[in-house]
Amino acid sequence: MRRGAERIFWGTTALCAVGACAVGAGILIATVVRGADALSWDFLVRASSSAGAEGGIVFQLAGTLILIATALAVAVPVAVGLALAVSVYLGERGAARLRLALYLWNGVPSVLFGLFGLIVLVRWAGWGKSWLAGGLVLGLMILPTLTVSLAERIDAVPRRYVEAARGLGLTRSRVVTSVLLPQSVGGLVSGALLGLARAAGETAPILFTAAVFSGATLPDGVRESPVLALPYHIFVLAQDSLEPGAATRLWAAAFVLIALVFGLGLLSLPLRLRVHEEARDGGGL
Amino acid sequence: MSLPAAAARPAWLFAGRRRLDPIRVASLAACALAAAFLAGLVGLLAVQSLPAWRHEGVAGFLAGGRWFFRARTFGALPMIYGTVAVSAVALVLAVPVGLGAALFASEVLPPRARLALKTVIELLAGVPSVVYGLLGVLLLRDWMYRLLSPFDPLSGDTLLTAGVLLAVMILPTVTTFSEDALRGVAGAQRRAARGLGLTRGTTALRVVLPQALPGLAAAALLALGRALGETIAVFLVIGRRDNQLPESWLSAEPLIKTTQAGQTLTTKLGGSETFLAWGDPLHWAAIAGLGLVLLALVGAVTLVGALLVRKGAGHAARS
Repeated sequence: MRRGAERIFWGTTALCAVGACAVGAGILIATVVRGADALSWDFLVRASSSAGAEGGIVFQLAGTLILIATALAVAVPVAVGLALAVSVYLGERGAARLRLALYLWNGVPSVLFGLFGLIVLVRWAGWGKSWLAGGLVLGLMILPTLTVSLAERIDAVPRRYVEAARGLGLTRSRVVTSVLLPQSVGGLVSGALLGLARAAGETAPILFTAAVFSGATLPDGVRESPVLALPYHIFVLAQDSLEPGAATRLWAAAFVLIALVFGLGLLSLPLRLRVHEEARDGGGL
Repeated sequence: MSLPAAAARPAWLFAGRRRLDPIRVASLAACALAAAFLAGLVGLLAVQSLPAWRHEGVAGFLAGGRWFFRARTFGALPMIYGTVAVSAVALVLAVPVGLGAALFASEVLPPRARLALKTVIELLAGVPSVVYGLLGVLLLRDWMYRLLSPFDPLSGDTLLTAGVLLAVMILPTVTTFSEDALRGVAGAQRRAARGLGLTRGTTALRVVLPQALPGLAAAALLALGRALGETIAVFLVIGRRDNQLPESWLSAEPLIKTTQAGQTLTTKLGGSETFLAWGDPLHWAAIAGLGLVLLALVGAVTLVGALLVRKGAGHAARS
């Protein structure tokens, strides 16, 4: 390649990279600037009124936290089981099949999880819109994220740890509970944080299963006990509310949602970076 | 999420020992549960959509251009066209930019800067789709309206708007997985090429890029899977007008039609019709049929992507 062409080529790629980052910065800045006026402590601790044009988002926030906490409670035990199956209990072929299944699972569009929840939980089980239905559906959705993150770490536990444990006469289940799981809990935590970040921002799965726009506070019981949720709130307001009061609050709500999602993502970052270090240490594992 | 290649597993430690182990039982139970869910999802949509396939015939449902539930006519083609058009726009815009950014990150940036860039981009991938949708409603829609004014559009809600928004949304996916694929090519290959006197650019284009091709294709397919399945952001800017089909396929019509409002499989599923349909078995079956079509599309794309990743991993392991 000639020198001029070389310059143009790399200049173009640099432009692409800068452009990709600029889009991100633009999104963040647009949201912060527009939402700043409405953003205050009051906004976080007051209930919304006048269809989102006044008040705050406390119950939307509470609803979202309830949903993701439920999702976590559902997903963690199953993810531990699946990760142990992938890394310890299944044979090579079975493990490969399970990996493929998890990859496909991760690709399933979120709206189909919602449809599944609508059929099985909302209609068949007769729960109606319920926080539990939403939490279960979100838990199903984030299951692959947790599982793969944990399984990667179990696979990276240095071989000598397990050999030492076996040398001490520990049974297989003791090796799993005393060596493999404690050594890889970071993978579960980072996977959980990533999964929660995704669950917190998803609208499609809770559209039919859990979320309403108004008229709910904290749920009591399971049947017909929907919650308000931050992404659903934004979704509804984005469709039809363009009066100024609602618009500012809309952006502020979007900012809170982004902050929540980024917060969870950033928390997981140190843990994820450490994985790479350890994997390098464990080299020949 | 990448498809991790089967790494060294601690399983070898337990070979030949098959005692009753409560954790093993629980673990296998979790597998059964997972299998039941996947089978249940496919089975449920297949069984529930049966009346629609019977009513319209497989070809009639897939290729039918009219969807009027009161007249009991269910043709999915306008939604399939919308999904394909929107995803195609997104891919055409996002893949070149993402590939360029990935080349820059992988071939030019020092490790620290690369990590910083990847962190920013992965955070971007985490921005909830409803926020992208909000930006689409309040900014992109007006820009597109102005841009399309020569075509005299009814509003800024068009397939094209949805495609552009989707492109922004899948850009992080394309970039970060393309970068992974490019980094997967051994440094020795680059050094050998440079040692032969090739420039950086030629090395990247003639040595690195061809070897990373399966991984790059997988990155594009993964992004395509996302685009096909995205609901909320598209929902907000596509206009959701039913029964929009190009009159002829062998002309510029399918392209021109993207400057008008339309409907995708996901926006139809996300709309109020899904709630409405439950009481009417045939109508519900048609909705479930749309879900099945969507699942089949995304499943096929994801599966091909997974096989490419595996092939790419094997390639990297050999070299």
